[in-house]
Amino acid sequence: MSTVRSDEEAFEDLFTAEYARVVGIANRVLADPHEAEDVAQEVFIDFHRLHSAKAQYAPAWLHRAAAHASLNRLRGARRRQKREVAQALEEGERTLDPQKQLEVDEDRRQVRAALGRLAPKPAAALALRASGLSYAEVAQALGVGIGQVGTLLRRAETALRKEVTRGTSN
Amino acid sequence: MAHLTEGTLRRMVDDPDARAGDDAAHLEGCSECKGRFENISDDAHSIATLLAVPETRVDVRRAFGHVMSERKSKPAFGLRLPLIGPANRSLKLAFVAAVAAAALVVVAFAANGLFFQPTTVKTVPVTVADMQALSQLANYGTMTWTKEPQLQAATSAADAEALAGMQAPVVSNLPNGVSTNITYGAMTKAEAVFTFSADKARAAAAAQGKPLPALPAGMDGATLTITVGPAIGEIFGELQQPAAGSDTSQITLPQLIVAKSSAPTITSSQLSVKQIEDYVLAQPGISPELKAAVEAIGDPSTTLLIPIPVEYATSKDITVQGAPGVALGDNTGVGSGVIWIKNGVVYVVAGSIKQDDAIAIANNLK
Repeated sequence: MSTVRSDEEAFEDLFTAEYARVVGIANRVLADPHEAEDVAQEVFIDFHRLHSAKAQYAPAWLHRAAAHASLNRLRGARRRQKREVAQALEEGERTLDPQKQLEVDEDRRQVRAALGRLAPKPAAALALRASGLSYAEVAQALGVGIGQVGTLLRRAETALRKEVTRGTSN
Repeated sequence: MAHLTEGTLRRMVDDPDARAGDDAAHLEGCSECKGRFENISDDAHSIATLLAVPETRVDVRRAFGHVMSERKSKPAFGLRLPLIGPANRSLKLAFVAAVAAAALVVVAFAANGLFFQPTTVKTVPVTVADMQALSQLANYGTMTWTKEPQLQAATSAADAEALAGMQAPVVSNLPNGVSTNITYGAMTKAEAVFTFSADKARAAAAAQGKPLPALPAGMDGATLTITVGPAIGEIFGELQQPAAGSDTSQITLPQLIVAKSSAPTITSSQLSVKQIEDYVLAQPGISPELKAAVEAIGDPSTTLLIPIPVEYATSKDITVQGAPGVALGDNTGVGSGVIWIKNGVVYVVAGSIKQDDAIAIANNLK
């Protein structure tokens, strides 16, 4: 029994240490804190079913899963409808000037749509780094050498800029 | 020294560890690299601004409680069968095809020599009415596992190979846009016995209010022994699983599934393939198209039938690595698949990819 208990404890420790970061990664991609928490919780549930919380690769696995799961959501066609409803609901709670808020929302929406069109690996690298992971942590999460992270980021930034420009000119 | 790469310059923008040694010295003395560095740095900062979001505040305790209560409702083993939602046509299609294949294989083809071991694949058209008629057949007897399959998900090919006792397939040409995040799945060899029962068949027919075609002599108590697996598979991309109570129609077909399995075998205790085939095709609800297609198959003891739901899918015969196979779906990217048998092993490549890509992966699978 003691092993089972310590497994549970290890999972709780892992959760406490990493939950906010995992939510942060998902929120960076989705720009929606509620949905980001949904994704983060799914990621932890999946992890708990398949892996031991004592595994060394646990944080890296969680970071990668958070990036990919939220990017997948971003690409899901159904998400747009849900998001628009959620935005409409939140509209009343905002304190910003409504016109200004509308512009911020539109910018965020366009950037996310563009992010969803990038290749998965560079997009994940961008989301992870923008969420504050170090180069070494990004490399571990994506299973690449640390030297490749700069290349992935550069590729993602160039592609994202292109996509955003294309999105706004359409 | 050659000029610095874009990747190195990018890393120098915000990784203090990178701004040392030869690279840093080169940057200091090279006006060309300095110019490129400025551009890359500007891009990085403008993208960081674009991706900025307000800080999130989380209630870790509450979230942990939620996760612990959710995970208890999930099964203990790794892979779950995806649920079928009304909006997910491609997944439904795959599921229908799998169920129909199992039903047809199990019931229709205990071969002449009382042994079924497919060496080739062929498609037959099925309708929803066919499916309903075939699913009735499961009520005509009792199915028991004599050796239950063990299913396991693994993060490494080696773990999955150890369980399945066979090598994992290797995809050598992944299409652009398909995630390299792989979940491995393995299944041990399993064996089940289906025993026909005249009483159960009559009761099932009575419950449906339908006439039961007369049972052939010797069918009552006849057994079919079915073996499936071992099998090993790879799922590319995230496993999309719904939270409890969420809308199941949101589950998406994984980007790509590649799997291989020892071909299923069936042995029959006392019935010939002709008897079983005639009996299955005499069930009320079987369409003339299915009947004609099955009757047109030359040697049913060596053919694995792939049912194609006529309302949803199209298929064509192809050759994969020199072996006969079938390709399902189309080039829209909604869903496509390739199935073939080579050296006693059934291979499947399927996913939300174009048919051309699925065929190319199949041809280069190692």
